Amino acid sequence: MISDEIEKLKKEIWSSFEKIEDLSQLESFRIKYLGKKGKITSFLKLLKDLPLEEKKLLGKELNELKDELEERLREKEREILFKEEDKDLGLDLTLPGRSLSIGTLHPLTQIIDELCQIFSRLGFEVVTGPEIETEYYNFTALNIPDWHPARDMQATFYLKNGALLRTHTSPMQIRAMLERKPPLRIVAPGKVYRCDADIRHSPMFHQIEGLMVDRNVSFSDLKGVLIYFAKEVFGEKTKVRFRPSYFPFTEPSLEMDIECVICKGRGCRVCGSAGWLEILGAGMVHPEVFKAVNYDTEIWQGFAFGLGIERIAMIKYGIDDIRMFFENHLLFLQSFK
Amino acid sequence: MKIPISWLSEFIELKVSPEEVAEILTMGGVEVENIERPYENLGELIAVKILEVYKPEDLKDLAVCKVTDGKETFTVLTTAKEQVKPNLIVGFAKPESLTFGFEKVEIKSVKNYKSYGMFLSSYEAGISEEKEKLLILPENSSPGESIYKILGISEIVLDLAITPNRGDLLSIFGVARELHTLTSWELKPLNFEKSLSLGEKFPGKIEILDPDGCFRYAGRFFGKIKVKESPFYIQKRLWLCGLRPINNIVDITNYVLLELGQPLHAFDWRKIEGKTILVRSAYPKERLLMLDGIEREFTEEDLVIADAKKAMVLAGIMGGEETGVSETTEDIFLESAWFNPKRIRKSSQRHKITTESSYRFERNIDPEGVIWGLLRASELILKIAEAQTYSEVIDVYPKPFSSPKINLPTQKIVKYLGFSVPSEEVEKILNKVGETKKTDHGFQVVPFSYRQDLKIPEDLIEEIARIYGYERIPSTFPESILYCKGPSKKLEFERKLRDILKSLGFSKVITYSFIDPKSLEKLNLRKEDRRLNFIELANPLTSIQSVMRTSLIPGLIETACFNFFREINSLKIFEIGKVFFPTNNLLADEPLYLGILLMGNANKENWYENLRKFDIYDLKGYLESLFKTLRINIDFKPYSSEPFLKKGASFDLYLNGEKIGFAGEIKSLILKEFDLKTCVFVGEINLEILFEKFERIEKELTIKRPPKYPSTFRDVTCIIKKEIKIGEILDFVKTLSIPYLEKVKCIKIYEGPPIPEGEKSITIRFWYRAEDRTLKDEEVNDIQDAVAKSIFNKFSAKPR
Ligand SMILES: [Zn+2]
Repeated sequence: MISDEIEKLKKEIWSSFEKIEDLSQLESFRIKYLGKKGKITSFLKLLKDLPLEEKKLLGKELNELKDELEERLREKEREILFKEEDKDLGLDLTLPGRSLSIGTLHPLTQIIDELCQIFSRLGFEVVTGPEIETEYYNFTALNIPDWHPARDMQATFYLKNGALLRTHTSPMQIRAMLERKPPLRIVAPGKVYRCDADIRHSPMFHQIEGLMVDRNVSFSDLKGVLIYFAKEVFGEKTKVRFRPSYFPFTEPSLEMDIECVICKGRGCRVCGSAGWLEILGAGMVHPEVFKAVNYDTEIWQGFAFGLGIERIAMIKYGIDDIRMFFENHLLFLQSFK
Repeated sequence: MKIPISWLSEFIELKVSPEEVAEILTMGGVEVENIERPYENLGELIAVKILEVYKPEDLKDLAVCKVTDGKETFTVLTTAKEQVKPNLIVGFAKPESLTFGFEKVEIKSVKNYKSYGMFLSSYEAGISEEKEKLLILPENSSPGESIYKILGISEIVLDLAITPNRGDLLSIFGVARELHTLTSWELKPLNFEKSLSLGEKFPGKIEILDPDGCFRYAGRFFGKIKVKESPFYIQKRLWLCGLRPINNIVDITNYVLLELGQPLHAFDWRKIEGKTILVRSAYPKERLLMLDGIEREFTEEDLVIADAKKAMVLAGIMGGEETGVSETTEDIFLESAWFNPKRIRKSSQRHKITTESSYRFERNIDPEGVIWGLLRASELILKIAEAQTYSEVIDVYPKPFSSPKINLPTQKIVKYLGFSVPSEEVEKILNKVGETKKTDHGFQVVPFSYRQDLKIPEDLIEEIARIYGYERIPSTFPESILYCKGPSKKLEFERKLRDILKSLGFSKVITYSFIDPKSLEKLNLRKEDRRLNFIELANPLTSIQSVMRTSLIPGLIETACFNFFREINSLKIFEIGKVFFPTNNLLADEPLYLGILLMGNANKENWYENLRKFDIYDLKGYLESLFKTLRINIDFKPYSSEPFLKKGASFDLYLNGEKIGFAGEIKSLILKEFDLKTCVFVGEINLEILFEKFERIEKELTIKRPPKYPSTFRDVTCIIKKEIKIGEILDFVKTLSIPYLEKVKCIKIYEGPPIPEGEKSITIRFWYRAEDRTLKDEEVNDIQDAVAKSIFNKFSAKPR
């Protein structure tokens, strides 16, 4: 009986199908059963001599077998091809990749960015100004007349034409107030210069100056803003303290210390047993300064603050020699990625 | 200002430890920089035990002692021949330590004998006035231990940083008074013997001729004094404050200066011509040989104390040598004055002299302290210098000082501090700084004479906040309108620029704004080059930082050198910073520049590629990427005019016909001067011009939709003469106005066999695209054939 033959064929097909392992076996299998002279084709040819009913029935069965087989072979082929790709393990994956190196921004640039962003969040506008200044903007307008001993606090580089290299970013207070009408909020980062050079002092360094002028901005507000700043930079748990101090252009004046980040207040080489690190100077804008820019002190009051960028960086990163910032050793720069 | 705790205690009862006193002062605005222990600072002054003594024949006046410090045994030479004997425990200073007499101890040798330190007298150890007697320590002392520990002697000195507004704190008494203000601990009253205000008639004449320079001039004559060494307690106190004892008269003036803050000056009465003391401005070119041995020439702005004939003292600053007190002085005139702080400061600066006295006058002294100081010194002179006679006090005080009346409305305190300090507290505090009256709206304060720093209501508010305690004032957040301006376009541009360069692998450096003028010379600039017209510092720290940079290149090369000598063999750096050019007025032109530098290897040693050095195409490529990202068209015109660049590997950079910078390889000869044995490429761009352009482009920027239809490309490969530059061909292509052409690029250049010598094979690829349809092959072929033909004709090209 031909139907028995077909049953036998089926068994044969599926058992040899299971044995297919690679593409060449798959191809010979396909030829053997599905090719023009393949077994299924030969069977189909045999059918034409059978009675119609039987022809129909067996024909359907054979065609279904053919379809299923074709489907299974496609799957099998995909399976083999997938496995095929996993076969080559010849690459040495222990070799390093073709890497590209990205550059770095100078650590001081990064700190300046960070501080500007902090104050931008509080609505302070970032401004810049000249590094070569006049006595007027650098001293006189800031309530430091030329006979004032406070000038000793800042050893000044003079130029041969009588101008000077600004000793602090505070002249920007004057320039910003002259250019704007109150109320205002500015921060001014930039280079400043003093005749001083050792491992703690560089003749060129960076400061950032802040100024807020408004109708009711008070000493308490100054404290609030500075505490916010300290926590943003040094962490939420940072402890701060405020000490009275003196700057000719602020009254009252203060200095802010943070608890030493290295010894946590116990005293160490960096903070010199005090347990505190001086971070910035600030105060309420002195009426003489407002007078210099024609702001009515009956209406306007404000606060100003200034801090050294290098100092913040040295504390944050535990750097003990300020000169490293300006040597620009590539390995030093790259450690701030 | 050094404040010995023992001296401070004479004026105020300290109820807490020195550390706590320091804390109170610091938090009150008088910063204590250091808590010093001067005896410990001397170094190793220890007990040693004498083991053996011998007196060699060849050492006449010396004995050699073998001693032990408990660990080691060594020899010491001593002149105290008679006093030393075995088993004695004595005071000893090790090499490198200091004695009370400011002597540094060293290892000494006499003939073949060595002295590893010295035995101390009580005086040398700073314990008593005994100079000759050896400091002998108790028998049970252990060798090696500090003599001060053994004797239980200790002194603590607070080192204060006094802010320039608080001249009143430049004395022991002043600090005591401040502690009283901050704590309300009781101040011990100052007692000077009343009789001292009397005396014989003053045997001379005093006159103030320059009342602008001198506000008050007081003085007194003392007869038949004995100039000698000061008693030990005076010497010790001066020493604790860092001053050297000289003789009793000078020491007394210094002592009173430290104690009360009143500078004094003693004159040798015999040397005062005409017994006349004049306070006047100096004559032009008047000269005086001063105590530091320098003869100075004065101007009319200087204030001097003169006699009938000559200047004797540069007022408030330093005395002349001739009229000073010496061993032979018998009679003296003692000056106590109040000079104009501005005049003193100007003179002190003009002549570059700062003294304890000028320092205090500049910061303003207490007008009332003039007489106290004089009386205190009188007391000491009578006691210590054994003056036989003394005159009345002469006090020339033409315009007595009166403090301003400051009105302080309560409302202002609250508005300023953002906090209301209780009214009773305010009143209590204000009473500590001046005579205080309550008014309708607040207070009226007349500050005490020593608080001349208090002038305006804000000064009083600071006193209130300070004495109440900054820490006790709450912290709040300001209320303000929300409006604020973002960073300027220029700052954003700068940020964009550095972010691009960072992602291209460059590291940002910061170099000094001042440079060595020689570094510009090294660049071989032409004489008329604008960069040689630099701004010079009047007082540079060093010649290598003496002029303001006119280019970033010297700083970048220095940085390259620094790294090269630290085994960095590949460097990609940039700097964004100002350069400085003089203008017609005081301020400079400060344009922002970008400088970039490549040095050495373009890559690292790798398994996948060969090591190669940077070349000009790296530099050009980086700059092209930069400009492309900024969307700015820059012309790279070959052959820069910069004399320090290799002509054949350099460009001048143009923006719309304006030169904005340059880029290229630095000449080897210049690198040699820096000892740089590698290749260096640099570029510099004026960012001010670039920024203007960038701002305009940003404004006009519109984004196009990416193309819908595919592009197609055609290549032209041909052989041309080697000298023909690709740029020439591309420029020529531009003139052809080719339809649908999107992009042209040279994608291959080949020289060498089989291409004949002197020629090269090139491939140029043309991309075509239509916006509204897919181009047909035939259509593109037709266009391309014509293009190829023109190129072949124009450049006499041969087919490959
Ligand atoms: Zn610490």
